Amino acid sequence: MSSTKPNDNTGQSPRRNMITCRGVKKWFGDFQALKGVDLDVGEQEVVVVLGPSGSGKSTLIRCINRLEVHQEGIIEVDGVELTNDLRNIEKIRSEVGMVFQLFNLFPHLSVLDNITLGPIWVRKKARVEAEKTAMELLERVGIPEQAAKFPGQLSGGQQQRVAIARALAMEPKIMLFDEPTSALDPEMIAEVLDVMRDLARRGMTMVIVTHEMGFAREVADRLVFMESGEIVEVGTTEQFFSAPREERTKKFLSQIL
Amino acid sequence: MTTVINANVSSQKSWFKWVRDNLFSSVAGTIQTFAFAALVVVVLRWLLGVAFAEKNDWTAVATNMRLLVSYNYPLSQFIRIWVAAGVLLVCAAASLGAWRFDPALTVKRMARTFYSVAVVAALCALLMPSSAPGVLVRTLWLVSTVLAIAGFAASAVASKRNNLTVSFGALLTSSVVGLLAILWFVPFGNYGVVGGSPFANPGDTVARSTKEPWTVIFTLVLFTFWASRALGTKTVAIVRSALLAFWLVGPAFLIFVVLRDPAFDWQRVWAVDVPLAAGFAFGGGLLVYLLAKPTRSSLARLVGVALSAFAILNWVAGFFGWYGMLQKVRISMLLLAILVLILPAFAGSQSKRLRIAVAWGGFILVLHWLITAINTPSTLVISAPPFLGGFTLTFAISYYVVLASFPLGVLLALARTSDLPLFRMMSTAYIEVFRGVPLITILFLFTVMLPLFLPRGMAVSDLAAVFAGYSIFSAAYLAENVRGGLQSVRQGQYEAANALGLTVFQRTLLIVLPQGLRVSIPNLVGQGIATLKETSLIAIIGGFDLLRIANSTIPNQPQFLGQKRPGLLFIAMVYFILAYTMSKSSQRLERRLDAGRM
Ligand SMILES: Nc1ncnc2c1ncn2[C@@H]1O[C@H](COP(=O)(O)OP(=O)(O)OP(=O)(O)O)[C@@H](O)[C@H]1O
Ligand SMILES: [Mg+2]
Repeated sequence: MSSTKPNDNTGQSPRRNMITCRGVKKWFGDFQALKGVDLDVGEQEVVVVLGPSGSGKSTLIRCINRLEVHQEGIIEVDGVELTNDLRNIEKIRSEVGMVFQLFNLFPHLSVLDNITLGPIWVRKKARVEAEKTAMELLERVGIPEQAAKFPGQLSGGQQQRVAIARALAMEPKIMLFDEPTSALDPEMIAEVLDVMRDLARRGMTMVIVTHEMGFAREVADRLVFMESGEIVEVGTTEQFFSAPREERTKKFLSQIL
Repeated sequence: MTTVINANVSSQKSWFKWVRDNLFSSVAGTIQTFAFAALVVVVLRWLLGVAFAEKNDWTAVATNMRLLVSYNYPLSQFIRIWVAAGVLLVCAAASLGAWRFDPALTVKRMARTFYSVAVVAALCALLMPSSAPGVLVRTLWLVSTVLAIAGFAASAVASKRNNLTVSFGALLTSSVVGLLAILWFVPFGNYGVVGGSPFANPGDTVARSTKEPWTVIFTLVLFTFWASRALGTKTVAIVRSALLAFWLVGPAFLIFVVLRDPAFDWQRVWAVDVPLAAGFAFGGGLLVYLLAKPTRSSLARLVGVALSAFAILNWVAGFFGWYGMLQKVRISMLLLAILVLILPAFAGSQSKRLRIAVAWGGFILVLHWLITAINTPSTLVISAPPFLGGFTLTFAISYYVVLASFPLGVLLALARTSDLPLFRMMSTAYIEVFRGVPLITILFLFTVMLPLFLPRGMAVSDLAAVFAGYSIFSAAYLAENVRGGLQSVRQGQYEAANALGLTVFQRTLLIVLPQGLRVSIPNLVGQGIATLKETSLIAIIGGFDLLRIANSTIPNQPQFLGQKRPGLLFIAMVYFILAYTMSKSSQRLERRLDAGRM
């Protein structure tokens, strides 16, 4: 399968594909969570995934770095197909950053150690160098003064920004976000979205699951609408919000906007 | 018990208020207080009556102190015991200093402790039976008075400056000075055995052969504590690693080299032992250095598998007697194979590779030296066979059983929670089997039966058999305690580690174990305490530990015939003090690890 196949379901200009999903199916026991998903994400593209609760959004992006294992279909990340080969998986994971809804920082490590862990142990960088990069990243997400603290001493918004810095420290080619602001108090959402906006501006390839419609409209190159394990509609931001093709999309948008 | 004391009220008033609010706040409370006080008085009176009854001869303990500490260790070589004890205490002090041990001791809390001890001492003095030695009663009154005055002074100071704290160093220094003063000037009496005949000089201070070594040791302890505290950040890191290495092999070195004084056959040492050690240290180090390069991880895996196959073959061959090989070659081979196998997880920059190689080299040199020393005959001339006995035996066994069962137990716990059914089954079988058999049975099995199963030429000493059996038993319990902790690590932690691309090995080592073990600390310390106390089972299989000496050796001496009670009460106190210290330090450790974290 060619990984440079252009998107056939949108009017996007063809870019190099970073993520390619073809006919991805996933079952949890008898329950089918993904029912044949096709999706392409080009280089430097920002794709936002929308959909009602339980529609399989998290399952899809967790399949992309193999936190979940799909049973049928093909997923390619940066031209490499996801198989059961362990080293293959570790390599892909180190190139795909993931930010979780509940942050999942390591509570026994300081903020700085959380960020340098991956570069030192996976990228085999020297500690001094890793710490320098970590400080730059903390600067970028706006909390350099928290470096020595432990995650339990930070606010939710600060924790999520550390989580983003931790993912970025691996110099990933792709960033996945699974509802990064859903566990945050309203006043902290903005600070996290600012960081993500900045990332998008710098040309990071991103797949974002979010319920923040305003933010989605602003940063997304394309929007994907999922329902009960299927992709119902994919479109550019403008087309998606102003002229959705599918009935189910219209209904979803009318409920949420 | 928490008391909220208003800083502006004088301490007397606040004490009065505390007593009123906590002890006499209601009729029921008042009755409870009096009932409890009566119970304390009755129990204490009974205990002291038992301990200092007319027929109890406490000189049995005082005279046999050396027996209790080190059993039959020859008096002419006793300096070795002092050196071993000194090195242990000095390293303990260095560790406290290097890890900046400085708990916040508020003067207010110290005052409270002084008062409580003063009250207990006075109570004991009051309730002493008339048969108790006069010097003890007088000492108790003295202690009570001094502490009451100290408590009064401390609370007077605290009432002016509420949150005043005392540094641990100051406390340590003053305690040591106080202890030495007591040792030199309080007439506890001088008891002992010289040339087989016991002597007793009740009016004297402790023997000079006891006072002088303690004085030297304590002086060194203070010096090391302050010196290691003053170290800068760069040096302290090195000192810390050195101390960690000491706590791993130091006690074994003290036991087998300092106490046992091996009579090396130097010709053989230079011809065989040194080249072997050097070969493994430098050859292995070079191999490790070369293979730890991140780009060579596939090669490292390949070499690791080949080495493991060879190492396992050596053990099998040894067991069936196919070809001979020095035991330490087998051990080193296996260790090198394991290191190379896990090497890709630790691969990194050049300085990191160098560190790993140097660590391996140092480790192998120490290990080879120890194995050689253990297998070399001792120069000691001892009247009865075991060279370890009394407290030294209790300490050696419990220390190394805890140390050895820890990694084994953690591995078992990891296997039991792993995704691989084979690992799970094997670990479950091990745990269930060893938890299902009483410790005493295992100890008998290992000392009596194990030699029968071993092939010819593979003999083990009783000490080694006890150590192996006890560690294997203890690991089964430890595994269950650790498993509880591992299960408390949340799924999100695994996912975050995976998402970073950590390998399973790295994830376990860096994320899961640190979090899981922290949760297990209370249980692990509980198990450590149990291990310490259950070393007394060694008595049943022929070892001369504290219990055996108190229960049968002393009561069989002609001059102390049937004197069991003082010895048993004494060792009960020793066990209690050790267990209580462990329990307290675990609570402190927990608090420290919890501070500021989730
Ligand atoms: N580990 C699992 N075992 C069984 N079923 C699961 C598992 N994970 C997810 N599911 C099911 O798969 C479906 C899709 O779940 P998923 O978490 O992908 O939904 P989602 O779109 O992310 O929803 P939300 O917006 O609530 O996060 C749901 O019906 C869920 O119950
Ligand atoms: Mg979800």
